[in-house]
Amino acid sequence: MDAINGLAFKNMLLAAARHLDQHRDRVNALNVFPVPDGDTGTNMSLTLNAAIKELEQANGVEIRRLAALLTRGSLMGARGNSGVILSQFFRGFSDGLAHVETEITGEDLAHALATASQTTYRAVMKPVEGTMLTVGRVAAEYATEASAAGAGALEVLQAALEGARAALADTPNILPVLKQAGVVDAGGQGLVYILEGFLTGVTAAPEELEQLLAQANRQPEGAAAPKLEQEVTVNRYCTEFIILGNGIDALAVRRELEGKGDSLLVVSDADVVKVHIHTDHPGEVLEFCGKLGELTEIAIDNMRLQNQEFASHEESHHLDYSVGNNVIEFPNSAVPADPKPLGVVAVVPGEGLAEIFRSLGVDYVVPGGQTMNPSTEDLVKAVSSVNAEQVIILPNNKNVIFSAQQARELAEKPVAVVPTRSVPQGITALMYYVAEDSLEDNLAAMEEAMREVKTGEVTYAVRSTVAGDLHIEERDIIGLAEGKIAVVGSSPTEVARDLLKKMVDENSSVISIYYGADLNAETAQELNELIRAEFPDCEVEVYHGGQPLYYYIVSVE
Amino acid sequence: MGRIHVVTDSGSDLPVELREQLGIHVVPLTVQFGDEIYKDGVDITAGEFYARLKRETRMPSTCQPSPADFVEVYERIAEPGDTIVSIHLSSKMSGTYQSAVLAGSMIDPAITVKAVDSRAASMGIGLCVIAAARSVQAGKTVEQVLEDVQQVIDGLQVYFVVDTLEYLQRNGRIGLASALVGTLLNIKPVLTLVDGQVAPFEKIRGKAKALKRLRDLAEEFRQRHPGKALRAGISHADNQAEAAALVEELPAILGSDHEIVVGEIGPTIGVHTGPGTIAMFLYSI
Repeated sequence: MDAINGLAFKNMLLAAARHLDQHRDRVNALNVFPVPDGDTGTNMSLTLNAAIKELEQANGVEIRRLAALLTRGSLMGARGNSGVILSQFFRGFSDGLAHVETEITGEDLAHALATASQTTYRAVMKPVEGTMLTVGRVAAEYATEASAAGAGALEVLQAALEGARAALADTPNILPVLKQAGVVDAGGQGLVYILEGFLTGVTAAPEELEQLLAQANRQPEGAAAPKLEQEVTVNRYCTEFIILGNGIDALAVRRELEGKGDSLLVVSDADVVKVHIHTDHPGEVLEFCGKLGELTEIAIDNMRLQNQEFASHEESHHLDYSVGNNVIEFPNSAVPADPKPLGVVAVVPGEGLAEIFRSLGVDYVVPGGQTMNPSTEDLVKAVSSVNAEQVIILPNNKNVIFSAQQARELAEKPVAVVPTRSVPQGITALMYYVAEDSLEDNLAAMEEAMREVKTGEVTYAVRSTVAGDLHIEERDIIGLAEGKIAVVGSSPTEVARDLLKKMVDENSSVISIYYGADLNAETAQELNELIRAEFPDCEVEVYHGGQPLYYYIVSVE
Repeated sequence: MGRIHVVTDSGSDLPVELREQLGIHVVPLTVQFGDEIYKDGVDITAGEFYARLKRETRMPSTCQPSPADFVEVYERIAEPGDTIVSIHLSSKMSGTYQSAVLAGSMIDPAITVKAVDSRAASMGIGLCVIAAARSVQAGKTVEQVLEDVQQVIDGLQVYFVVDTLEYLQRNGRIGLASALVGTLLNIKPVLTLVDGQVAPFEKIRGKAKALKRLRDLAEEFRQRHPGKALRAGISHADNQAEAAALVEELPAILGSDHEIVVGEIGPTIGVHTGPGTIAMFLYSI
């Protein structure tokens, strides 16, 4: 085959998406870190599927139009760092085909692969070799060489795949972490699957191809996850109030209220106890607490109605997708008054943490984080929903920073990203957020502030591995300091304590503990007492974070 | 030419010795626990007040002196031909200044009352009053005395840390810092005074960090005023230990030419800030 026509091009892309989808779990398994994290295979697959969805609905097989849809779909659908790089790959790939009329020649293909590779390198601030970048670059080099030797499109594609496989096999030699974990680079592997899919798309017999494309697109679990969190709200009323009175036993309040709802927060300070709970029985909660002291600042909101508003709002977004052209329009929500100068969007895992972020002035919380990396489109939509002239995004996860930066490029209003890599960094940055100050002043203050906090996380190992001199078995409890495995143990409480021992030094004054969805307030309280005893010079604060999979997120400042 | 008298209110938190040494007259505000009314510094001491605050479930409140209270003091201390410089709590926070102005129009017209809105509270008023009394002692004219006071008011920087925003909020003195209320995290805000009312300055997690920030702010203030003599006031609400720690470090921060006055936040201000508060007032000359 010397050239690829529009139909073959479309098949090539569809086949790549299906092929990657089928090998998603294998790519996920290449995760270097044994933590439940944003999975590369899932993220790449979701990104490509978002692009393919547009292609599938498109009539006609005009190459330039398909390429434009590919660019737009993947940029908006990009999730996680690997998804963002992949979307940049497709953007470059499409740009490289911009001059193509009806058929992609070998030369065109080599040029497109080269442009794709260059675009990925440009998109990354500090390109790291031994990753998807290298795999894409070597693929382009092999393709260019083949094309220069007069190869047709098929041969160029074969050469590209050969180059990609060679580069992938070499990734453990370039990045020691891969060698140590005994894996090749996950993103690179994903790209190899895509190139394999390309090849299948242009070489497979029609019936074989039909069979492949007919296979139901598995809906990866990650895709539905961000929505899920909006829907799990079973307790209807967000109930908040303050109890005034001396000597109220906050722990007793917590114990009593624990059975009455979720997202419980009981914060006490001298003669004031602040209560926050999601409950179906706000009356009972008030009745009980009213016996302990004077109640004040009572606020009860029906979250189910709020969620419905949110859901219908979401739907209207979907309805307004104009698939026919290259513009995606998002209607403004009911357009309230004048926009304020500055707003904040934060990506936050867990309802407890979401409440905390809202209370610190965040306008829009995008659920997600460690395992559910929101897509660029989720972030663009969030930015649109905030009635502000300029918007700051707090990604709060290293695997979301890149999508946030991509959202900045695609949003229709000025967006700035404070590259917070963890929830504590996001909280600390918000301490310095002043809605009345300029965007520039806020960015300077927030970026400086976020460095002042140390982040720790307690989760479990998703597979056995060796990290430095630590031997980790699957399901072991592990503690990470600043994203690096520092402690291994068998109980979240012990691991959290040992982790904090490593994090706290003579300059530390505040320890904050955000406990996850899998723990209850009492367990967290036990840790609280343990930590107070261990670090008498520090103030220790415990909050319900509600984040999935991570027993504790802790911070030291 | 008559004499010049300096009058203030109990919101100035001046130590008794200094008041006596400089001949300053203090008109008390009243503090109420329910129906029980106490004159600040007359019927109740700071120590008694904070002890009571811990036991009480009712929130105390304050009441400004009536114009008659001022008239009584003005007429007792001044002779016809005298002038009274009467320096008071920020008019944004209290009606005390208004009472003083009214009293000035009610007394013997031969006595002149110059009421001054300090736009501050606690030792912020205290520093104005000290400057006024010293100018009087130095034999300056009324105009010069008022000018000296105005310089303090214009140059004054105020930073304070409260243990909880609850007291400011419940007493309606939260001012521009109301945005900080409702935060789920336990935040120790550093507050300031802007245009005579409470405003947020920074949100800080943990008292220790907030107090360290006060030291840094003193350092920054010195850097903004190179070569100037610095005057500092520190006041605390039932928090001798943390105030002493700050006062101990200040001389090294403020440089060779400085003066530090330390006072205890009395009931008048303590009702609004709550116990634990540490406040720092700075100006340069």
